[in-house]
This record gives sequence, structure tokens and C-alpha cells, in this order.
Amino acid sequence: MPDEEKLSSYLNRSKLVSNSNYEKKIRIAILGGFTLNGLEETMRVKCDEKKIQCTTYVSGYNQYNQEILDEKSHLYKFSPDITFLIIDCRNVFGELFLNPYSLSAEERKQFVQTKSDEIINLAKTLVKKSKSKLVLSNFSIPSYSPIGINETREEFGLHDMIRSLNQNIKIGLRLESKIFIYDLNSFVTKFGEDNVFSYKQFFYGDIRISLDYIPDLANELMGYVTAVLGLSKKCIVLDLDNTLWGGIVGEDGFEGIKLGDDPVGRSYVEFQHNLLALNQRGILLAINSKNNFDDAIQVIKEHPNMVLKEDNFACVRINWNDKLVNMKEISDELNIGLDSIVFVDDDPVNIEYVRSNLPEIGAIQMSADNCDNNSRHLQSISSLFNVLKITDEDKARNKMYLEQRKRTELKTQVGNLEDFLKQLNISVNIKNADGFTIPRISQLTLKTNQFNLTTRRYQEEDIRKFSQNSGKIVKCAQIEDKFGDNGITGVYIINKDNEQQWTIDTFLLSCRVIGRGAEDGILCHIIEKARRDGVSQVRGEYIKTKKNQPAENFFADFGFKKEGDFWIFDTKNQFKKPEYLVMS
Amino acid sequence: MTKTLFEIVSRVMNIPIEKISDISGPDSIPEWDSFNMFVLLAEIEKEFGVNFSLEETLEIKTVGDFRKKSEVV
Repeated sequence: MPDEEKLSSYLNRSKLVSNSNYEKKIRIAILGGFTLNGLEETMRVKCDEKKIQCTTYVSGYNQYNQEILDEKSHLYKFSPDITFLIIDCRNVFGELFLNPYSLSAEERKQFVQTKSDEIINLAKTLVKKSKSKLVLSNFSIPSYSPIGINETREEFGLHDMIRSLNQNIKIGLRLESKIFIYDLNSFVTKFGEDNVFSYKQFFYGDIRISLDYIPDLANELMGYVTAVLGLSKKCIVLDLDNTLWGGIVGEDGFEGIKLGDDPVGRSYVEFQHNLLALNQRGILLAINSKNNFDDAIQVIKEHPNMVLKEDNFACVRINWNDKLVNMKEISDELNIGLDSIVFVDDDPVNIEYVRSNLPEIGAIQMSADNCDNNSRHLQSISSLFNVLKITDEDKARNKMYLEQRKRTELKTQVGNLEDFLKQLNISVNIKNADGFTIPRISQLTLKTNQFNLTTRRYQEEDIRKFSQNSGKIVKCAQIEDKFGDNGITGVYIINKDNEQQWTIDTFLLSCRVIGRGAEDGILCHIIEKARRDGVSQVRGEYIKTKKNQPAENFFADFGFKKEGDFWIFDTKNQFKKPEYLVMS
Repeated sequence: MTKTLFEIVSRVMNIPIEKISDISGPDSIPEWDSFNMFVLLAEIEKEFGVNFSLEETLEIKTVGDFRKKSEVV
């Protein structure tokens, strides 16, 4: 990962950021307990790099309390999508930060409890009074203590106070769907307290995160911006030689590659462990490598130090074909857009080739120094995968894609689509929006691009509101077949316009279940329900995007008639229900 | 070193290098506000591996002051 650019470079580039009319838009507010000049400029440049149109608001110096408490404040007038509240111990402790032992242990406990409650209330107030998400920094634990080596013996000492503050805030806010804690303490640990906090900058201008590190901070905060906008990557496509192991298997042979018991080999084992951990949280892995298939697959299947097994890869392309052709095949087979892919390769030529021809793919070159191929290096990669919430579906994703591979194999065996679908024993279980399903429903609206008729993006709190609104129906579909459970992979939202007419606000299906008739089954279910409720017509829209072509003919094929912008279905009309589906 | 110092000033203040001399300061460079001056200071310190004391920092008024305050530059 290249070092961050200098702050001055961002400051200058921020003047050139035109208010481009990008599709993705975000309004960012920054509230600071100290000087954070440069952060806003850097965020705008970083948004522009990712083709996000960004509008910002920076509160007055140390005005965060008033801004949050006053309903008429500039903050609320600005109406941000996301608010970053960055404060530190000096804001909360005041002079007590410097002489904490002027209080007794009991008083210190009491003090932390009071301050924790204040911060928790402040955070809850902000999200209650606005539609903004809040990212609140936690507190960095200083290395210094006035009592020196006795700090670790002291009952509820200074460091305990801060740890306890962090823990209280985490516990008090962790179930708030719109509030996220940014781990500023880890940021300071990563870059070092002496670097991040410069007394000169502090005394000079109350700068408490030194200017050199503002771009790094902006980088970490961008993880929230991309997650809110649903721009997270889904899959890492890997090269093999000198990426998953050291050396070239075709030349060095099965026993000659470096993977395991030597310094270089250990670095690759570590890297594979890091990839495995990502895979377990739901990031897909795939291979795109120029090798003799037999040589490479032998290593994957039989090498004693291979951490990643064949089953960890959702898609494998080991051949001498063009890397771009492989890449498109991987994207097709996994049903994910090229912009959901990160490509990792050691060869700068390959990286450049992919970057220039498929710029939507994030191409990352393995460092020439093997020491860099580890979790710290990977942290920059893994930030690309940030999502606001990891759901159970995420954790089970790899298994589902494996099942998908087996389905594809069955399809090739059976040949006829209808017969294939019959053999799959598909069942569709329609579920209500509730505490368990709401996070996933929101996630699907944020992430689904292809079979998505309107591509309306909804946050968790939107879905929660809709589900409580008697004028709307919010449902999701859990889809199963004989190879396994796909989990919640379909969503529909209906507006009951009046007693006669319903409008389908949202209808989407996750890419991994497209083309198996579940979409028709769910639409039948909607029409039948409308009939039962005495509704005479159901309307739907198809809002074209760059990616939702798979859904283009959905209404027409089902028998809807186009009238103006809407597709209309008269519920008296007959329709064909897929017989092989079990609906419940 | 003169050229390098001017290069840094030019890059940070985003002005052509020809417009910079030792007497350049907030009067001749409109971008030279207290924040940008501090950004400049931080980058000069890093680039040349020098450290300005707090008092020295407060005394800097021109590009030339950066040179005078640091033997290296």
C-alpha cells in the first residue's frame, strides 16, 4: 500500500474538485472537539476519487455540544447523511486528564459514569433529531501516567478510566442502528502516539491529530462513507505464483515453491490465513492465474502448508487465457459486478493491464517485500470490504457459492432448464420484516444492483419505519433448494396507494438466486394477496440503471401492460405460476 | 537547498516557484494563512528532518525565516 499523500496535496487538490454530477451523493458533517482543519478537504478529494459527489459541513471549533443540542443549529439545517464526531479525552476530562489522582478511586468511577452517560445521550440525541448516521470516535489511551509504573496497580486508574469510558460507550450504543464507534484508539496505536499527537501542533493551534496523519484518518473514515453508499467490494480475485505462495510452481515445482517453513514461505502462510479470515466473514475468493491447471491445482489440493483449500474459492480460472476474459467469466459466474471485485497480483504488468482495461476493478499489487504481505498490509484491502453490519448471510456466503457451483454442474448434466429447476426442489418462504430480517432487507436494497427493478436504497431505519406503516407491505424471501439454504435473498416493498391500487416500490432478488423462477413465484404471491384484499390493479416501475438489465423484461414477461412510466397488472387476469416452486 | 525550499513553498501554497523569494510571506502570498503556514512548517520539518521550537515557529514571518531558523535549509 503506498504511503498517504501529504496533506498539502489534498488541500490543493480540494480546490480543483468540481461539483461533479456523480450518481452517488453524500452529505458529510464533521464535528470536532479540537482543530480538524484539512480533514474536510481531504474527504472531498477522496470522495471525488471514488466518483462520489460530496457536500460537507464543518462545525465551529469545539461547538459540538451546541450543534447537537440546538434543534435549529446549522448542523440540522445542513441535514447530513453521515456525521463524524471526533473528540478526545481532553474534551471530556478537562484538567482532570492531567491530574486524575486529585479524585479518589470512587470519585473517578462516578466521574466516568457521568461522562459516559453524557456522551451516550449526546449521540442518541443527534440521531433522534436528524436522519444522519453518526460515527463517534472512541478515546485514545495515553501511554503516560502521573503515577508511572504504579498505574497498573492503581484501583481504577487513569488508563482504566479511559478504557471504561470506551467500554461504556460501546455497550451503551452498540445496538443503535444509526450509531457507529470509530476506533480512534487503534488508529493512534497503529501510527504511534508520539507521531499522531504533536505538542507543538497542540500548543500552536489546538491540533490534536497531527497534520501528517489527517490523510490517514480521512482514509479510515472513508470506510464509513463507502459502506453507507453500498460501494463495498465483495470478492478478491487472486493470482497464484508469488501471490499465494513464493516462487513459480511451473518452474520451481511442487516441492520448490515457498510456502511454510522458511522466512519467505511463512509470509505467504500468514497472508493465506488473513484471506481465510476475510473469507469466513463473507468475502468471496477466486483465482485468476496463468498456470498449467494440473500443476497449480495439485498445490491447492495437496500442499501440506496450503491454508486456503479448494472449497474456499468460489470460482477458479487457472489457464493461459487472457486475464480480462477470465475476469469477466468470474464476474458472470459469481453474478457480481466487476466493480465489486478486487484483484491482487504480484506482476505490475498484469495490474496495469487490468487497471487500464477494467478500471472498475480495484487492482492491488502485492508488495515486492514479502514482509508487507500480512494483515497490516491487508488492512488497507479489507477496508474496501467495510459494511455497516455483518449479517448471518455474510458469514454463510462462501458455503452458498459452493452450493451454487454444484448447481451449475447439475445444470450442465440435466441440459433442459425446466427439468433442472424441477430437480432443484426450490422453496420460497416469505417472511415479515422484523428485528431479525430488517438489517438484511436494508443490506439487500443497498447492495443489489442487477435484479433490482427500482434500485431504491434504504437504510435500516427506513425499513423499520416502513414495516410499522400500515400503508406499506415489507416482506423478504428466504429461498432454499436441495443443495442448501440461500438465506434471505429477495425483498419486496409495496405502497398501498388506495383500496383499488398497489404500487411495487421495490422488488429485488440477490444475484445468486436469479433465473430459477423465484422472482415469478414472489410476484404471483403479491398478485394473489392483492386479489384477496380486493385490490384491482398492481403497478410496478422499471427504473433503468447501468446494471439492472436482467430485470428489464420482468413485468412484460409476466403479463403486465405498460402505461406511461408504470407497468400495470389487472388482478382479474390469469397468470402462470411456476409449478416446481414450493411457496410458504 | 534554496531551490528545494522554494519547491516546497510552491507545492504547499500552490503558487509558481518564480513568485517565491526569501521575502515572500503573508503579504505577497494570499494563501499564506496561519493554517497553511503551519502545514508548510510541518512539511519542511519532515522533508529536511529539522525541528523548529515553538518560539521559533511563532517568529516565522517569511520564507527567509524558515531558512534562517534552520541551519540545514
